[in-house]
Amino acid sequence: MHMRLSALVSWILVLSSAIVLTQGGRGPVTLRDLDGRSITPFVPSGRANVVFFVATDCPVSNSYAPEIQRVCREYGPRGVGCSLIYEDVDTHPSTSHLDQLVRMHLQEYGYAGFTAVVDRNRAAATHAKASITPQVFVIDHAGQIRYRGRIDNLYAALGTTRQQVTSHDLRDALDAVLAGGKVPRPETEALGCFITDPALLRTHDHE
Amino acid sequence: MSRRRLLFVLSVSAVALTPLVGQSQSAPSRATFADTIAPIVYANCVTCHRPGEAAPFSLISYEDVAKRGALIAKVTASRYMPPWHAEPGFGDFVGERRLTDAQVATIDAWVKQGMPRGDDARMPKPPAFPADGWRLGQPDLILEMPIAFDVPASGPDVFRNFVIPTKLAEDKWVRGIEFRPSARKVVHHALFAQVPGGSRANVDGVDGRPGFGGLSAVGFMDRTDPGLGGWAPGAQPAMFTEGIVSRLPKGSDFLLQVHFHPSGKVETEKSLIGIYFAENGGQKDLASVQLPAVFGLGAGIDIPPGEKQFTIKDSFTLPGDAKVYSAFAHAHYLAKQMKAEATLPDGSTRPLIWIRDWDFNWQDGYSYKKPFVLPKGTRIDVTLTYDNSSDNPRNPISPPRRAIFGEQSLDEMGTIGFEVEIVNKAEVDAFHSALASRNKMATDTAGKNGTLGRLLARGLRRNMQQLTIFDRQGNVVTRLGEVGSYSQAAFSPDGSRIVVVKNDPDTDGRDIWAFDIATGKSTAITSDAPPDSAPIWSPDGTQIAYVSDRDRTNSIYRRAANGTGAEELVYTHTSGSQLILTDWSADGRFICFWSGETMFVLPLTGERKPIELGRERGGRISPDNRLVAFNSNQSGAFQVYVKDLTEATRQTGTATAVQSTQVSNGPSVGGIFWRRDGRELLYLSLQGGQGMMAVDVLGDAPFRTGEPKLLFKLPTPVLAPAQLSSVSSADGQRFIFAVNVTPRKPAQ
Repeated sequence: MHMRLSALVSWILVLSSAIVLTQGGRGPVTLRDLDGRSITPFVPSGRANVVFFVATDCPVSNSYAPEIQRVCREYGPRGVGCSLIYEDVDTHPSTSHLDQLVRMHLQEYGYAGFTAVVDRNRAAATHAKASITPQVFVIDHAGQIRYRGRIDNLYAALGTTRQQVTSHDLRDALDAVLAGGKVPRPETEALGCFITDPALLRTHDHE
Repeated sequence: MSRRRLLFVLSVSAVALTPLVGQSQSAPSRATFADTIAPIVYANCVTCHRPGEAAPFSLISYEDVAKRGALIAKVTASRYMPPWHAEPGFGDFVGERRLTDAQVATIDAWVKQGMPRGDDARMPKPPAFPADGWRLGQPDLILEMPIAFDVPASGPDVFRNFVIPTKLAEDKWVRGIEFRPSARKVVHHALFAQVPGGSRANVDGVDGRPGFGGLSAVGFMDRTDPGLGGWAPGAQPAMFTEGIVSRLPKGSDFLLQVHFHPSGKVETEKSLIGIYFAENGGQKDLASVQLPAVFGLGAGIDIPPGEKQFTIKDSFTLPGDAKVYSAFAHAHYLAKQMKAEATLPDGSTRPLIWIRDWDFNWQDGYSYKKPFVLPKGTRIDVTLTYDNSSDNPRNPISPPRRAIFGEQSLDEMGTIGFEVEIVNKAEVDAFHSALASRNKMATDTAGKNGTLGRLLARGLRRNMQQLTIFDRQGNVVTRLGEVGSYSQAAFSPDGSRIVVVKNDPDTDGRDIWAFDIATGKSTAITSDAPPDSAPIWSPDGTQIAYVSDRDRTNSIYRRAANGTGAEELVYTHTSGSQLILTDWSADGRFICFWSGETMFVLPLTGERKPIELGRERGGRISPDNRLVAFNSNQSGAFQVYVKDLTEATRQTGTATAVQSTQVSNGPSVGGIFWRRDGRELLYLSLQGGQGMMAVDVLGDAPFRTGEPKLLFKLPTPVLAPAQLSSVSSADGQRFIFAVNVTPRKPAQ
């Protein structure tokens, strides 16, 4: 009886972890970075990954560039990988135009050495259920999304920044994940620009 | 969260449904970009939302607008955009940037309907804007910032004041000013003033950058009537209303206060100012009426922490007919509502201005479209409310602190001012004397309640420091933060951050702050009422330990080095004398401190019972945790010594007499630092002023050092050097000191 109970308990644990693993998408999503390499930002190779949804023309996500770089610089040596996923809508006829735009943005905002993806068909945003830039996701070594939301509480509302940041949500989440503990606030509301489906604009091209 | 998910679902379903909607409906009532949205956007948004202007993106083409449709619907509904802070119905102002409720609803409906484009043939032309250049024509005087200013990529907003000599040989009258910033993406607003020539030379450039910092540069005492105005994004350059002119005296300096909003990358600002002169001083008798007077100097602004509805009221009955041209409001971060209303002699009321959600970032001037006369005997009532709770996201300090009247960013003030013309010559004298007596009353009240004394004392204590990083030759590598009152600066173990004690000269409060060297961004590690001091870094750089003086008892606390999380009490010292932490050992086991005449190490494990080391101070533990370097005056003068720490702490809780080796060869106190590899010791000598000394460690058994060498002399003395901890970066290449700022002599 004891045996069967513990077996049942462990089976439930396996089941629940399996559910958690697939939560937010159907398996690992493979993306191509700017240089054409296949990457799987939702499957960390180290201890954890941070996925940053950004846009070149979103002032809120741009204002976070230095903090994003600081976080990645500080947590990189501790086994945390970082990826930038660009959610721009570009209506320029040439498909390489947006790549150029993103390359320029990486250089202008000091993102040298970052892995960057242009999420043209919104595969990454759909997978993670991301709707805002900037919005961040922390994925632990098991591929489980442990945190989703804002970087910190600098913005109290669009147009209202705090004089002092009082909640460093992303850093707290990373500290908890690296320490093997529970993330204090696994979900927060991200404030910034909406991620728009480019199809929404294409629909009207021939109206 | 559920809301965000819902939004996503909505936008996805909108995509799916749009073709259907497009086919089944072509009702003319449907909002389209061409017919409905473009006219709204062109009339209200594109002044700023076009290439080269202040706004972050353009809103000209259908694609520009449609791809941000959801965002536009959100920010117009919340009234964040277009930015306009005066409530409708309270004054009718020039350049009002406000959508009607119907326009907001139209945008929302258009977005919900899938943002139809409409008929291209019916698309209106975007408004034409004049080419770059002076909009008001060639100015009579063009002023340019003498040196460009680099706006940092990130960190808190920057308020910077630039002094530009006018070099005017005679008094001039100004009828208009056009401001042309070069880095429009980061210039949030600008205020103009004139000050006597050379009067700001004592602060201009003292921190090594052009201009000087702070909100208080255009002092409330300096503001003259009528002012020179200011600039905000989206404002059209225009001459002052109805022939109002303002004096610009000969030899005066133009003072430009710019509020910068870091954008994520470094931007360079070098503004141009075009000034247009009038023939003469004009015929109008002008006056500036402030409620409360003198920016609230005597209004009793003293807001307890946590207070959500602190209210200040003031009234003024007009001693003569007054034609009102414009209104302005000024307060710092805690103000919420600012409201003014007039009650005329016949009992009728006239709303003057109401700012329902005061935002320090948007200090517009408000010129009435149709200036109006308020008859003699009209009473103006002003109500200001402040929120000093932590629910106010604009509160500059967390947790909140008492805020009292003052010019600095943590202080408060507040007033609503009106620029008026005294209509009847016969009433001019009475009008001015009524205003003067209000000002005098404010000053008298401030004198009685201590406000004035505090402000004057602060003026006298302006001798402040600048955190300065030096290399081994004594060259300045970088300067950190604003000029202020600092002590006990210390490098983090990885050399990327500085922790320091910041003193508040008003309250004698002391708190611990950390600075990021790369960004200059500062974080409050403590912000409590008791004075905190002696910060030291944990060896891994994740924690900061410090001393807090609570109920006359010194205790050691520690908390996360990013300022988050709760503080932890480490140790309470019961002897009553001041406690000074100087090191945290590389193995994390010991904190070294001194108190009174005695030096201790505190084991962080077990009972945490301090071990007495002797009549010593300023102890620093070697990187291998075996030795301690310290100051002692056992020879009659303070020298640097090294002794075996393992030996001294062998008998837990008891001091063991251990032989010590003298390292210095002349009077030396404080600044002791072991290079990370343990092969070099650094310290401060006192010979001919303080100098940073370096000595090679040649052997360990027995401990042997070489001849001390002078690296560089400190430019100004550091007080209490034995209280310093990590004055150097771990590699011994960089040094941090709070250097006194020497005011420059005013230019002749």
